Amino acid sequence: MGKYVTLKKSDFNEFIEKLSKIKPVVAPVAKGKKSFAFAEVTTGEEVALQYIPTILPPKKYFMPQKEKILEFDKKKQDWTPILEYSEKIIFGVHTCDLAGIQSLNIVFTTKPKDINYIVRKDKLVIIGLECNNYCDEHASCAVMDNHLPNGGYDLFFTELKNSFMIHVNTQIGDEIIKRIKLFQEAKKQDFQQLDDLRAAKRKIFKDEVKVGHEGLKNLFDKSVKSKVWKDIDSRCVACGNCTNVCPTCYCFDVKDDINLDFNTGARYRVWDSCQNENFAKVAGGESFREDRGSRQLHRFMRKFSYPVEKFSRYFCTGCGRCSRTCMAQINLKETINALVKEKK
Amino acid sequence: MKKVKVAFFDFTCCEGCQLQVANMGEMLLDVLDLIEVVEFREVMSEKSNDYDVAIVEGSITTSHAVERIKKIRKTAKVLIAYGSCAAIGGINGMKNNFKLKEIREYVYQKDAKHFDTIPTHAVHQVVPVDYTVPGCPVYIPEFIQVLKAALSGLPYNVPDNAVCVECKLNENECMFDKGVTCLGPITRAGCNSWCINNGNICYGCRGMVSNPAENGQKDILEKHKISLEWIENKMNMYNKSRELGELK
Amino acid sequence: MKQVSLKESEYAVKKGKIVRTKQMTKMEKLFEISLPNGEALDHEPGQFVMISIPGVGEAPISVSSSPTSKRSTFELVIRTAGMLTAALHKLDKGDVVGIRGPFGTGFPTQILEGNDLMFVAGGLGIVPLRSLINFVIDNRRDYGKVNILLGCKTPRDMLFGDEVKQWEQRLDVNFHCTVDKSDPAWKGNVGLITSLIPGVNLDSNRTFAVVVGPPIMYKFVIAELLKKKIPERQILLSLERHMKCGVGKCGHCQVGEYYCCQEGPVFTYEQIKGKHEAL
Repeated sequence: MGKYVTLKKSDFNEFIEKLSKIKPVVAPVAKGKKSFAFAEVTTGEEVALQYIPTILPPKKYFMPQKEKILEFDKKKQDWTPILEYSEKIIFGVHTCDLAGIQSLNIVFTTKPKDINYIVRKDKLVIIGLECNNYCDEHASCAVMDNHLPNGGYDLFFTELKNSFMIHVNTQIGDEIIKRIKLFQEAKKQDFQQLDDLRAAKRKIFKDEVKVGHEGLKNLFDKSVKSKVWKDIDSRCVACGNCTNVCPTCYCFDVKDDINLDFNTGARYRVWDSCQNENFAKVAGGESFREDRGSRQLHRFMRKFSYPVEKFSRYFCTGCGRCSRTCMAQINLKETINALVKEKK
Repeated sequence: MKKVKVAFFDFTCCEGCQLQVANMGEMLLDVLDLIEVVEFREVMSEKSNDYDVAIVEGSITTSHAVERIKKIRKTAKVLIAYGSCAAIGGINGMKNNFKLKEIREYVYQKDAKHFDTIPTHAVHQVVPVDYTVPGCPVYIPEFIQVLKAALSGLPYNVPDNAVCVECKLNENECMFDKGVTCLGPITRAGCNSWCINNGNICYGCRGMVSNPAENGQKDILEKHKISLEWIENKMNMYNKSRELGELK
Repeated sequence: MKQVSLKESEYAVKKGKIVRTKQMTKMEKLFEISLPNGEALDHEPGQFVMISIPGVGEAPISVSSSPTSKRSTFELVIRTAGMLTAALHKLDKGDVVGIRGPFGTGFPTQILEGNDLMFVAGGLGIVPLRSLINFVIDNRRDYGKVNILLGCKTPRDMLFGDEVKQWEQRLDVNFHCTVDKSDPAWKGNVGLITSLIPGVNLDSNRTFAVVVGPPIMYKFVIAELLKKKIPERQILLSLERHMKCGVGKCGHCQVGEYYCCQEGPVFTYEQIKGKHEAL
């Protein structure tokens, strides 16, 4: 469990090059000045080691935006279930996104199990990367307890002064280390640096919102009739950006697409959003969340209440993407603080 | 399957959307297996009064055009408004910024009296439309979707959320972060943020989202430091005709 | 991206052959469906299937027949409301549809055993409830008193007219029926279904009320049932929600922390009374 190795920073480029020869490597790359995205890389120079959460979280590799699940041939009356996957190494996953992947794993391995997800996940190697500082003001990873590594990776990189400290967490990770012969055994001073960094982090990462980890569920459970949702109702434009960029939103729609021969085609799962007006509308026309405030409440409950009931786990990772992306500036930390203020 | 007879018609437009059909590449061959084109001015000289599906490009800007589109509507079982001009009036709608008499005299000078003109209308403001493919030009994957829907009698609704949603899914850097203003936040999606993917801004060619969260829209403009007048002006490039009701 | 075919998948569909159809009203059509090789659907009353037409889509539909009636076929009654249901209405005997399921938690027939039952069906609610009513009638000796309360908009909207007549004539069933709006030929009650409840003579401690109807109906019916002192956990409801997967993943059918397609569609009132978006 306790295997640690180091990699000289000067060897990082070579590491990524060698890594990309094992399997295709995806890593955070800069998209303009303020944005980042996971994309394929072959050299270390392309990797953005200092990055704020990518526009889309790595969930795009675990549950693709559009995923074929069935092919059909009408004349032959044939329906064939399909699995799509690709082998990849995901490098540079922050602890918030590792928590997001863990949440998705829980959902899709809960019975009835989702074979498509499970197989796809097993084809992906995950290499984490520690945040030594806050990415920006939207993060609330400390209150969600995701600012430090909690597993969910094969290898985990922490940037130290001249090297990376690497936690080897799985056999798959160890095989990579053995195959790419660039690593040194971690020495006492490396461990010291890691401890110092973690101690410093505990001082920096705190007090993001005016309620503690334990109090969050109760805060939301008691918020159903809050005026906060009325305010949000008047501002939300129901675009669905917040759910698309959320590392733990997994709702989907199932759609058919027929080919131009009007005979063959496929059934797909595509990302859907509970913020869309028709999301909960039944055939008779009744919608159970007609106004946008109630749909936003639902989104928050799916992060802070329902998964706690079901899986004993918050589904908010504290990554801050929903606040960063909201066109109408609906902000997660402000929403939590407004609820706390109202309660007092 | 019996081939469906399809006719292309153009009204006030640049015919660029019809040209997009030629850009379909190999898919065009699959489409031609399904349909029999009986009229298409850009590629053939034949005309026909026998068709099932009318694909109409262009906006309605003369009283003669009003009569012609009504005739087409009577013949066609299915009418598809094709391209921004047909779907929302498009850039021809800029004419509606001026008094009709003034603009006519400005354009045609001393011959103005020989040229009949009416305010620019989208097709649906004149006759009922079954399917709409907005866009300047149309986005071919969406046109294929609509064609499939039309040929199998299923509905197609133009998405009513913002281009930003698709833009985020494509992980583009936000134009506003680049210091450029973009109409993505108030323009209907469905184009897969085609322009922004290719480094251009959104010009609002697909029409405005019908989203009535007024405070939210104000917040969006405020967030990006855009004035209401500016956005209206920009939006009017493609969407001026929205101010008109149905042509009586 | 690599692609492989799967032998097993939650999304695998079975070929459902339509063996009989019947236009029941202008809006509702009955489909009797058989699975390949006479395989039984093996459902419980109150469960649903996902039915699909390739290229059009898939939708959840409750099974309307009782597993006790025929082994090799099952019945769905489908109201035309959207794209898929409109396309289904165009199908007929011999056509093939995709079937997944059965899904969900049905009515707890074992728990109901030995107790008095009050069925309350409003409008289309009779479609899933018929599955349980016929199950109970086929095992009539195992249950106590049986009351059936049926409500629909007009006499013309009444579904399963012949069967309803048989229920009415049985000596071991108390049958009550009402319509919102009468027509000249109608001789029965006129009024909402809630108006039937006060007149039913029941022993509240040993009565289970099973309520299925449009979402708007529940609040009012439950209020009447509570007045009758029926315990909250003995009030059973079947909730209608939008569904896409049927296997507790897609999120559309969520009610509080429950997925309607897994923990439901049948809930006790006790389970859901505190949920702000349940009723």
